Amino acid sequence: MNVALAPHPPVLSIATDQAFVTLRGVTKVFGSGRRAVTALQDVSLDVADGEFVCILGASGCGKSTLLSLIAGLDRLTKGSINIADGRPAVMFQEPALLPWLTVRRNVELPLRIRKVPADERGRTVNRLLAMVGLIDFADSRPHELSGGMRQRCALARALAQDSQLLLMDEPFAALDAITRDQLHDDLNRIWQETGRTIVFVTHNVREAVRLGDRVVLMTPRPGRVAREWDVDITRPRELDAPEVAALASEITARLRAGGSADGTH
Amino acid sequence: MARTRFHRIVRAAWPRVLAIGLLLGIWQLLVVVGVTSPGGLPLPGPGDAIAEMGYLTSQGVLIPALLKTLERAAIGYSLALGLGTAIGLAVARIPVLRAGVGSLLAGLQSLPSVVWVPIATLFLAIGGQVENAMYFVVIMGAFPSIAMGVMSAYDHIPPLTFSLARSMGARGPQFYRHFIFSASLPGYVAGMKQAWAFSWRSLMAAELIIGSVASSGLGPILDDGRSLLDVPEMFAAVLTILVVGIAVNDLVFAPLERGLLRRRGLVPA
Repeated sequence: MNVALAPHPPVLSIATDQAFVTLRGVTKVFGSGRRAVTALQDVSLDVADGEFVCILGASGCGKSTLLSLIAGLDRLTKGSINIADGRPAVMFQEPALLPWLTVRRNVELPLRIRKVPADERGRTVNRLLAMVGLIDFADSRPHELSGGMRQRCALARALAQDSQLLLMDEPFAALDAITRDQLHDDLNRIWQETGRTIVFVTHNVREAVRLGDRVVLMTPRPGRVAREWDVDITRPRELDAPEVAALASEITARLRAGGSADGTH
Repeated sequence: MARTRFHRIVRAAWPRVLAIGLLLGIWQLLVVVGVTSPGGLPLPGPGDAIAEMGYLTSQGVLIPALLKTLERAAIGYSLALGLGTAIGLAVARIPVLRAGVGSLLAGLQSLPSVVWVPIATLFLAIGGQVENAMYFVVIMGAFPSIAMGVMSAYDHIPPLTFSLARSMGARGPQFYRHFIFSASLPGYVAGMKQAWAFSWRSLMAAELIIGSVASSGLGPILDDGRSLLDVPEMFAAVLTILVVGIAVNDLVFAPLERGLLRRRGLVPA
């Protein structure tokens, strides 16, 4: 069977017209008066239920600020953010595991906070640890794990929050290329299995193209949406697949062309 | 198994044994040289002091006095722990209090708690009730260290921990239980350890000054030795006080701190 002619696999989570996350005119200003810095200006974005959206931009373009606004960790200056359902789960660039808890207890923590009964907690944690491939390390402590394993643990913990929306802030940026490649595969699989809605922030163009249904490019000072691309490449995608490389170089060219947003908005 | 365990104990113990041996050696040297007080009292050697400890024990003096002193230390320290924790948490979490009380605590910490002894005697040791006065002095010596420990432990919690707690929706008791208490535990234990040293010193000061009047304890033995010009008794008391200080540190706080840090990967296993 010719791979190139293969039809698209059935889409597990169908992006509907109804947005799961709605951002309208989101503006964030840090400080006030003459020292005020506009981190985000008039950002509008819709994310459909089950969609995997990558927000791409150079450092300082406000993409992490945008994420913490969606997460409710910071207050917006102007505009509105609506999330269809509950509090989003967040995964940070650092694993942020609690060093005094074992892997199992770290993953269990969101369930304890939600007062899930003990037997159900045990089952859920085992399922999640199996999903991220950490079942053999359940009783290890975070400092005994490699960087990749720590992020797997953080991913399992984020999934344990049982929130339909998962926000990821450059979670793989600090990992080596090989580990990152494996985590991309795993995240792709887990997203397809769980049907979560993911907003994934990155400065890595190929990472964005490899993972996203859609890539949203942001430009800095002030941060705004420059352009969006729909990524119609069969999953799972290889990092060095020609389609991935082609779209990545198109986006990179646009990124290099610079700062200001063109007529697309 | 037993062999490796034995070796581990030997390996852990020898620097300590060496240090103690060195100290006793210097002490013995001073005795051999013939150091005396201006009044002509000879300096007793380590052997004399230890023999005196044995004699005081056989006379049924040392053990009850030790227990009495430890009881005071335990009660005063516990009260200081409660008070210091409450004040430390309040000051850490409430900005207005931090500005006002923060520097006051640092000041109190550097204030030698022996200065409270005359005041405590006057106000609290009424009708021979010396215990309250001693607890007060111990509390004043120890609680600032506890409170400062809580504050600095709280300040060293990574900001990401707070973000994490918020993103998980942890509030109120859950926020404290799952995040704040656990995250600040190593700093808290460091404060507890320092507070123990302060409370032990404060108690000795209080016992020396107040205790000799009406009560038993290690301080009164020391004072008794002074008034009877019984130098070996004084050294026996000092040695006992030193041993208790070392024992509490080595048997209580050091293992607690080591265990905490090891579980968190902050020291090699």
